Amino acid sequence: MTQTETQTMPDAGSPAGPFEPRIVGFLCNWCSYAGADKAGTAQMSYPPNVRIVRVMCSGRVDAQFVMQAFRDGADGVLLLACHAGDCHYQEGNYRATVRHRMLLRVLAQFGIEEARCRFDYVSAGEGEKFVRVVSETVEAVRALGPLAPHLACASGGTPRLTQPSTVASP
Amino acid sequence: MRTGVYLCNCGGNISERIDFNRIEEALLLQPGVAYVQRVDFLCSQDGRQFLAADLGEQRPDRVVVAACSPREYERAFMQVLERAGMNPYFLQMANIREQVVWVTPDVDQATAKACAQIRGAVARVGLHEPLFLKELDACRDVVVIGAGPAGLKCALTLAEAGRKVVLVEKSPVLGGMPVRYEDLFPNMECGPCLLEPLMAEVLHGPHASRIELLTLAEVCGLKGYYGNFQVAIRQTPRQVDAEQCIGCGECIPPCPVSVPNEFNFGLDKRKAIALPFLGALPNVPFLDARACLRSRGEECTACRDACPIDGVVRFGETAQTIERTAGALIVAAGFGLYDCRNLPELGYGTVPGVCTSLEFERILASSGPTGGELKPPDGEPARRVAIVHCAGSLDERHRPYCSGICCNYAFKFDHLIEKKLPGTRIHHFYRELAVAGKEEFALYDEARRNHHATFVRYVAGGLRVSGPEGGLAVEYEDSAGSRGRIAADVVVLCPPVTGAADAGDLSRLLGIPLDRFGFFAELHGRMDSAQSGIKGIYVAGACQAPMDISRAVSQAMAAAGYVLSGLADGKKLEISPITAVVNEARCSGCRTCAGVCPYQAISYPPEGRVASVNPLLCHGCGTCVAACPCAAIRGNHFTGEQILAEIEAVLA
Repeated sequence: MTQTETQTMPDAGSPAGPFEPRIVGFLCNWCSYAGADKAGTAQMSYPPNVRIVRVMCSGRVDAQFVMQAFRDGADGVLLLACHAGDCHYQEGNYRATVRHRMLLRVLAQFGIEEARCRFDYVSAGEGEKFVRVVSETVEAVRALGPLAPHLACASGGTPRLTQPSTVASP
Repeated sequence: MRTGVYLCNCGGNISERIDFNRIEEALLLQPGVAYVQRVDFLCSQDGRQFLAADLGEQRPDRVVVAACSPREYERAFMQVLERAGMNPYFLQMANIREQVVWVTPDVDQATAKACAQIRGAVARVGLHEPLFLKELDACRDVVVIGAGPAGLKCALTLAEAGRKVVLVEKSPVLGGMPVRYEDLFPNMECGPCLLEPLMAEVLHGPHASRIELLTLAEVCGLKGYYGNFQVAIRQTPRQVDAEQCIGCGECIPPCPVSVPNEFNFGLDKRKAIALPFLGALPNVPFLDARACLRSRGEECTACRDACPIDGVVRFGETAQTIERTAGALIVAAGFGLYDCRNLPELGYGTVPGVCTSLEFERILASSGPTGGELKPPDGEPARRVAIVHCAGSLDERHRPYCSGICCNYAFKFDHLIEKKLPGTRIHHFYRELAVAGKEEFALYDEARRNHHATFVRYVAGGLRVSGPEGGLAVEYEDSAGSRGRIAADVVVLCPPVTGAADAGDLSRLLGIPLDRFGFFAELHGRMDSAQSGIKGIYVAGACQAPMDISRAVSQAMAAAGYVLSGLADGKKLEISPITAVVNEARCSGCRTCAGVCPYQAISYPPEGRVASVNPLLCHGCGTCVAACPCAAIRGNHFTGEQILAEIEAVLA
């Protein structure tokens, strides 16, 4: 294998092939990450498009992480938490839902569709639900296509989010 | 930065479903990666030995293990790092088994995803900082709130283990509610007899010297945290010297005052100086200063004059606040019953002859208002008793849950009624029956075989108690849709068990939340039901959920276990370094963080204008870190920089 091949190897899809969305999934350690493990133990297959970032609690997911994921080239973001009432830290998942609602409003101002930032609950036992949520998200983002080039810089240069021109600068 | 990457073959589980050669080549091009090693079973003893030896040889700055889920072996690998002389937090795992190869059948796709996940780990681990477990001295003494079965068992267990215990009881007596029950389900043991050995141990047993019993006392202030609580306790004076009193009761009859006796739920009267009931422990009367004539300025000395010992009755003692230091608190504050006045159709408080189950317990008790005779306090012996199960339970408008104990005591009532007045007609009105347990079924079975007992399953809202005009009666609509009317002399309501009436005050005082039903919220319903949300404060007994004595006592032992293992002798308190840390220079003092912390771990010292996280109370969830508008809080081991680097690398 040549060095060029090696460098272009790591990611599903190629410029010539069909669009393969890149999605970052923030999973809480106690429920949804364990749910993803459960799907693995049961050897259920699902689309490989989600890159998993583990956090202790969904409440740790800073809005900045989501924005940064889009800036770094993600086409979608998945936020998964323990079910309401099941949070290992009592109410971090509730904080996460509030933050997600806020995020959707911010993202809308950048022209980023709601379907690109999905929040859902996956318990440690819900391997099947994890697979379903991932599959649905991948399909939804695939249908939307790549994040518009004016919103994110896919390669080269400094990736940045550009505000739509209708928003007046302060 | 030299990062060593270990790829685990997992005996082919991983290596046969992925192209490790391509991953290795790609990783070696990544800045910071010093070397890549492939190991067959990294988790095995051989694997761990290899890892320790290789770390010693290669001396990397950081380590990435690409293998199974970190939920499996992260701790084990951290220990290996520690053995190799590295900081254990210099490790990051990439989960390429459960979250990659096992879910991605296509080898190319699996290889690409694994590569991205490992790159994320490499980028992140480069920013890991050395973290250290901290140790802290802790007070080993314990404050137990409530001297019912749970509190007594807990106090005694801790005292037996050599701990000093302050047992705080708001009433003048020990034993909580069950000491007032003549008989207990399922075996008809006598309540006071069951509890007396426990109470005697607490009062006079070989470990009693380690238990400081404060009756008529309530916790009124709490400062500090796990390992070092400052507890303020307000004690109303008994005005009778417990040390000198011989418990003869001579002081009681001469007292000219009569007030409703709260220990019999107001069914009879007591004097201003009184023993709550016959056989109450400690066997020392208390003088109710509010009821005493002296509180109105009258110079009555009847009780003191009757006392055979000088100086035992002490007028004019004033309330005092006692301060104690404790490493942990156990809340065993007991329960209440749902207020039946919220069910006006059942006639409680308006129709004579309708009583609650607790009142009925006292009517059945020989130390109670009727001396154990089955009749209303000023009425005729009952020949017809209606027992209303589920009075307000299983009902969203009142309490949606089943308390799980009412059927048991209702069938105990059935047994006792038949024993006391054979032939008495008993009607059980119920919506559901719940009598689980290896012994509990026998009482139900006996009630079913009682020829004088009938069962009516009523529908929700299908019950009304009428009277006194036309006589006391229960009108019902049963589950088959038929309606009927049954006359009764006594109607016993079995309402849902609720949190104690003063649970709200205690909750605010201690900072431990109540659940939506007024019980103290547990940390986790199944795994940690004896822990509150605040470290070092435990909950036991029916203040946490409706439960019977056996469960309350077990939970008390569990709470004692938490104290004995958490504040173990000869061991310091260990504090995990994965906590939030405030950067004081950046903090604006907005207090957003304190509002989102579920553990009250964030405080504002009066002298400072910035937040401070108590690492002992912090659980490391990171919610405050994400909420801080100034990025002034750092979440150790999950810092913004570390996570952002991981995001960038997994997308690269």
